[in-house]
Amino acid sequence: MRKVLVLILVVAYGFAFAQTEVRVWHMEQPPYRVERMQELIDAFNAANPDVRVVQEVQNWGDVVPLALGAVRARIQPDILFTIPDFTVTMRATGAVQPVTELAERLDEEHGFLDAAIDPYTYDGEVWAVPMYGMVMSLWYRADVLEDAGIDPPSTWEELLEAAEALTGDGRYGIGIPGSRSLYTDQVIYNFMITAGAEDIFDEDGSIRFDNPETVRAFEMYERLYQYSPPDSVNWIWGDAEAAFAAGQVPMIVQFTVITTFDQQTDEPADNLQVVTIPVPEEGGQRGNIYYSNAAMILTTDEDRRDGAERFLAYLLEPETYGRFLTMEPGLFLPVTADGQDAATFWEDPLVVAYGAQVETMIENSQYGALFGFTTGQVFDEIGPISAQNLLSQVVQQMVVTGLSPEAAVQWGQREMEDAAP
Amino acid sequence: MHRRRAWLAFALLAPLCIWLIVTIVIPIAYLVQLSFTTTGIFGTAAEFAGLANFQRILGSERFWQSARNTLVWVIGNGLVQVTLAFTVARLLYRRTAFTRFMQIWIILPWVIPGVAAVIIWRWMLSGIGVVNYGIQSVGLVDAPISFFAQPSIAMATTIFVNSWRWFPLLTVILLAALRNIPTELREAAMVDGATENQTWWHVVMPLLRPVLYVLGLLGTLWSANVFDVIWLLTRGGPSGGTATLPIFIYEEAFTRFRLGSAAAASLFMMMFLLVFVVLFLQYGWGRDLRRRR
Repeated sequence: MRKVLVLILVVAYGFAFAQTEVRVWHMEQPPYRVERMQELIDAFNAANPDVRVVQEVQNWGDVVPLALGAVRARIQPDILFTIPDFTVTMRATGAVQPVTELAERLDEEHGFLDAAIDPYTYDGEVWAVPMYGMVMSLWYRADVLEDAGIDPPSTWEELLEAAEALTGDGRYGIGIPGSRSLYTDQVIYNFMITAGAEDIFDEDGSIRFDNPETVRAFEMYERLYQYSPPDSVNWIWGDAEAAFAAGQVPMIVQFTVITTFDQQTDEPADNLQVVTIPVPEEGGQRGNIYYSNAAMILTTDEDRRDGAERFLAYLLEPETYGRFLTMEPGLFLPVTADGQDAATFWEDPLVVAYGAQVETMIENSQYGALFGFTTGQVFDEIGPISAQNLLSQVVQQMVVTGLSPEAAVQWGQREMEDAAP
Repeated sequence: MHRRRAWLAFALLAPLCIWLIVTIVIPIAYLVQLSFTTTGIFGTAAEFAGLANFQRILGSERFWQSARNTLVWVIGNGLVQVTLAFTVARLLYRRTAFTRFMQIWIILPWVIPGVAAVIIWRWMLSGIGVVNYGIQSVGLVDAPISFFAQPSIAMATTIFVNSWRWFPLLTVILLAALRNIPTELREAAMVDGATENQTWWHVVMPLLRPVLYVLGLLGTLWSANVFDVIWLLTRGGPSGGTATLPIFIYEEAFTRFRLGSAAAASLFMMMFLLVFVVLFLQYGWGRDLRRRR
């Protein structure tokens, strides 16, 4: 009898203190980001004894096959960080669970920016909870431009003139990528937005890539590319930042350079400046690529889902949100109204040092757009178009194969039409 | 007695057979099945597609470009690696303190994890990397060389990096084979008046032939299947200039989300390699073996 009682007590104890494990896949690989995430997870786990959040770090290069394979093997994470086009791809597996109720509740509490949540809202549901925004701008070395008597460029012609004037003596006027990469997709898309070619799809979902505005943007890119280092044909984000920090290029189009500039140069913070992407003199519009990274929930288990929702809500609380964002200061921008005022964000030493630059980035984020997510509708073609980096392949057709901008854009139109699943 | 022995043989072979079925037969069967379906994103529903995937692949310019690149890649790697391995093995053949030291350390590129090695090379070969700094410092060039800007240069660079990683293994194998050749044979040739080169060509090389055949066969299969080095260095670019068949297959599956077509391309590649193996065994190694018998 006593044995039975002990057994019952042990089982009851086990149930009472059972922990629900919540596995989180994110792609923030740098060690200091992983460390910051772990600090936040530890604090959450301590405050929520019934949940045990575990982070598993992946990388953007591999995550598509890994996540698809995990879903197939039914070992997918409970939370998977995402960007808009990856969400479209993952939705096709049927594993992504709607988070509409959670998103509405968090929106009431914190106020999501429209540009952050819209790309995840379609088919009557919200498919991921926005977590942080990223915006591209034109970063430049203020001292270099000042020495050359050049004002920060605000138009395409000024940008070209500046890039030409700054090229020489082993230095290149600007660093823009020509690689087949997401980075090149993003940089060329800035020029497409400012040229008025931000829509890749028509309302009915047909591809409208081949149009005069797109050609104009690619012509500009081709002209500008002649002032970029030859090896920029193989650049990804880190290469551009390294070239900038090494003084090889005084201007780059990038999400942020703050951490690299601060750590790898002895220059004062004022020497790093940022402006919005220059616009064409005629018929141009202000704009830049902006998108939010978000978190999908892939579990159907009630306890795990509850744990996942509580963890995401915890990250968006202003007291913790600033610490979450400053895992990479000056790169991750708030996607909530109260997050923009969070003391934990603005008190970070790097954000204090580069406060003016961060404010410019936040302002730029209000003019943001993302390819494939501009018409209020989401079409399945954006998955393969984005995954193939087709925009950057069009750039390569110009700068490597030697096609004219018109021919390259026509090539891109055909490839995008062929990308239909 | 015979029946008991037969059962024992079956019992001993069974684990291996099961292992081969699980790791080779079932995946290939699944591959064949996939190639006849419309499977797009991994794990999604699909319908029977007949020969559509094969037609799509055969009509794809990218596929044929990748097939041509694979040929260049395999031949290029073969030539560079064999030349390097032979040269270094011959240099290390003589036993001195230096060669004893080097024959241990030469394996270092093989020991470094592939990903780390490739990323290091990528940085060293960049515009602000140590290679460009070096050749600019000694006045060989005025401006940095872009090792990945043009398809042909990118292919040559990628072959070089892959060869740098693989040739030490070949060197060690060749060196071991060389050391197994009785010195009396070389000395006899020298006594008969053969020069150093004639001795190598007419005495050493024929004795090395079995090892060279094995290396040729395995090296070709390994080279054709290399993915990591190319993907990490160039992602198959620029403009598809370094995209070999494994890159094409990966992209078809995970960027174009056409798993059925990727499976069809994998079958084509498997057939190419099988044909190569058969021809190699029939007319290369096999003929040599028959002649020896």
